[in-house]
Amino acid sequence: MTQVVVTGLGAVSPYGAGVAEYWKGLAGGACAIRDLTLIETDGFRCRLAAEVPEPLAGSARRTRADRLAIAAAGEALADAGLGARDCAAAALVVGAVGGGMLEAEAWYWRTARAGVRPASLSALRAVLPSAHAETLGSRFRLGGPRHTVVTACSSGAVALAEASELIAAGVVDVALAGGVDAITRICFMGFNALKLLDTAPCRPFDRERRGMSIGEGAGFMVLEAEARARARGARVYATLAGHGMTTDAFHVTAPEPEGDGMVRAMRAALAGGGITPAEVQYANAHGTGTPQNDRIEARALARVFGEGGLLVSSSKSMIGHTMAAAGSLEAIATVLALGHDLVPPTANLATPDPDVPFDCVPRAARAARLGCAISNSFGFGGQNVTLLFRRGVA
Amino acid sequence: MARVVITGVGVVSAAVTGDSAALGAFLAAPFAPAAGALGAGAVAALVDPGESRRLSRVCQLTIAAARLALRESGLDPAAGLGLVVGTEFGDLASTHAFADGFLARGPGGLSALMFPNTVMNTMVATTAIAVGARELALTLNAPTVAGELAVARATAAVASGRVPAVLAGGVDELDPVVERELERFGFDAERRSEGAVFLVLEPRVAAEARGAPVLGEISAAAWRALPARPWGVGRTCRSPAIEAVLEAAGARAADLGWVYASGSCDDARDRWEEQVLGAALGSEAPVSTLGRLLGRHAGLGVLRVAAGAWTARSGLLPATDGATRVERVRPGRGLVHGLARGGTHVALVVDAA
Amino acid sequence: MEEKEVLDELKTILVARLKFDPRRAAETTESTPLPKGVAGSIGLDSLDFIELSIAIEERFGIAMDENQDLTEHFASFDSLSRFIAGKLRSA
Repeated sequence: MTQVVVTGLGAVSPYGAGVAEYWKGLAGGACAIRDLTLIETDGFRCRLAAEVPEPLAGSARRTRADRLAIAAAGEALADAGLGARDCAAAALVVGAVGGGMLEAEAWYWRTARAGVRPASLSALRAVLPSAHAETLGSRFRLGGPRHTVVTACSSGAVALAEASELIAAGVVDVALAGGVDAITRICFMGFNALKLLDTAPCRPFDRERRGMSIGEGAGFMVLEAEARARARGARVYATLAGHGMTTDAFHVTAPEPEGDGMVRAMRAALAGGGITPAEVQYANAHGTGTPQNDRIEARALARVFGEGGLLVSSSKSMIGHTMAAAGSLEAIATVLALGHDLVPPTANLATPDPDVPFDCVPRAARAARLGCAISNSFGFGGQNVTLLFRRGVA
Repeated sequence: MARVVITGVGVVSAAVTGDSAALGAFLAAPFAPAAGALGAGAVAALVDPGESRRLSRVCQLTIAAARLALRESGLDPAAGLGLVVGTEFGDLASTHAFADGFLARGPGGLSALMFPNTVMNTMVATTAIAVGARELALTLNAPTVAGELAVARATAAVASGRVPAVLAGGVDELDPVVERELERFGFDAERRSEGAVFLVLEPRVAAEARGAPVLGEISAAAWRALPARPWGVGRTCRSPAIEAVLEAAGARAADLGWVYASGSCDDARDRWEEQVLGAALGSEAPVSTLGRLLGRHAGLGVLRVAAGAWTARSGLLPATDGATRVERVRPGRGLVHGLARGGTHVALVVDAA
Repeated sequence: MEEKEVLDELKTILVARLKFDPRRAAETTESTPLPKGVAGSIGLDSLDFIELSIAIEERFGIAMDENQDLTEHFASFDSLSRFIAGKLRSA
């Protein structure tokens, strides 16, 4: 079976543009969750988010989400040193949820409030999650298989898993994959209505945690068949050694209380990589900061790795829940952790929950010898994904 | 790699609702229904009131079609079932309604029940619960070819042994806000409609072992992207997807007895697809474009694969150029093809059981 | 507002917000259990209760404190009406 390696990284995060900014923020334990400025927040309990700071790269005629995607994808392709011929055969898999909804909302709000219907074909077309793949595919002339996956909060991770399947099956030997989401009114209002948002920056794994914080961003990777990467002398960040995807089939918003789906996803990823639980030193958790997710995820981690069996931290404590970008941005954090032998912390963790039997790396990054690490993403509707990364090449 | 067969079909649409037998009867005597929209109560027999209270309309359509397909196949989901659903528009109706609640009444007008429907995976999430699908579950969003894409992706999942069986489907509903805007921008020439269609895909060996109906085989499936601007019509006619499936199926163009294409009266796009098919296959194999008769929706892409299996068995093809009629064609393998503005295209070689 | 009026408003919410069939809503009484899993209940789950809370806050102008455990008040329309009427009186 073809080994899949990571040869390029690109990110736009609430810290700013670029992977270097992203890692600097994570390694420093900086919390980027602040007052929301992009949309109106009057009348809502929670008025915070982790926004990508201005200025954004690219044309203001594009949707915000497209601009984030283009910047991150462009960085990944350049980082991998892919040229036009590589791109012509490369697969493209995008994880998306909101698409251009922010701009479509602005149009809809104007229509409802002012009674005018401004003509905007681009707003209509750009609203769908598949718009990013159309934009990126055309912009970077990617001619291989192209598809968009929508699996709620795990979309970015599923995109990476999908790309690795295409490479492992020999359909392509190089792929650009990742996820993107911009803040939208619907997402902000909906999570507020469900009372899933903390009125303070989220506190994953803390005894006093009260909910999530929303974020936005884009994270893309170039994945390649190991032999091809080796032949062209590409720099390899890590091996994407395995992945698991399962479905709770339990409830549209609540996770299944025993975490069975999470356990199965983690075990499938380990089995795919031929790795035992003892060989994994770090889990980048889904870790949203809701009382439910963190409790159930901790229980699932304990079932797979044993209590205290590895270091656990949540990047959402710093960049918020970046929705469709979360799975890929957090995978990038996991790859960088492996490369630096440094586990990014869980920020805002003042009083660790005694029911969470793990060292969740409170507030300051931890140096640690890392051989393998997993990244968990558990989406609405019980869409569970685990990615397993191994340092270097087999 | 396992050989992938179809063991169940479920269709919910204005023209026909039922399993493979109902679909076959329709294809043998095809007609354009009076309206593309489904009547109220279309799925009442398949989704009970206790469930339907919590399900948006598009989710109900999806569950109804999935149940029909599962019923025909006799598959037990507990043995391991994946779910792949293609859609172009998802649940936009719920998205408007959610926004309208806020615009009319502020935060108090927001509906917690409706919020999950604003994420496009809602059809998969609710169907997974309704049928008990616990393996991989994907929602694929694409213009025009989402249904074919879902079948191609599901075929790969079964062929690779990753999942023991997959429910592969497509669904779209007509949304008045979207329709109004499309008309305003001059896209009223194209036919669009709504519906949900599912196939049950399994490895041939497993299907035969449990005595399941084997309705057809998907010998090869591939998807690629032709160069084009977003939502534009391209000029390239050479199709890597068709080349890939011919090679994988060990077939030459001349072996294909028929083609189902994805035309729907978007003339520029339809012409591009004709050129692509002409370049790959010459003009030997007759082409059927059900979208011109029934209107485009993601379910129709899946229906075309089921129709391909029926044509491979029966040697009949509902032709749709000019007058609607049923032609005799060479039974056995043929091609199901889809091409979207922007260049995403899908090809599947479908064969008799 | 009396408990009887509160009960009528709750039945309206059942139809308008929780999407119950009007006949089913009309059949409910003060003692009909609300939560799923209780014999004879109308089968509300956690998401239904969130919707109900939003609707109650909007319709009656009271605040539901999510840090407080309100489970006992949501057991039936009887307990819920008494809870709401009590909040209105003290408002």
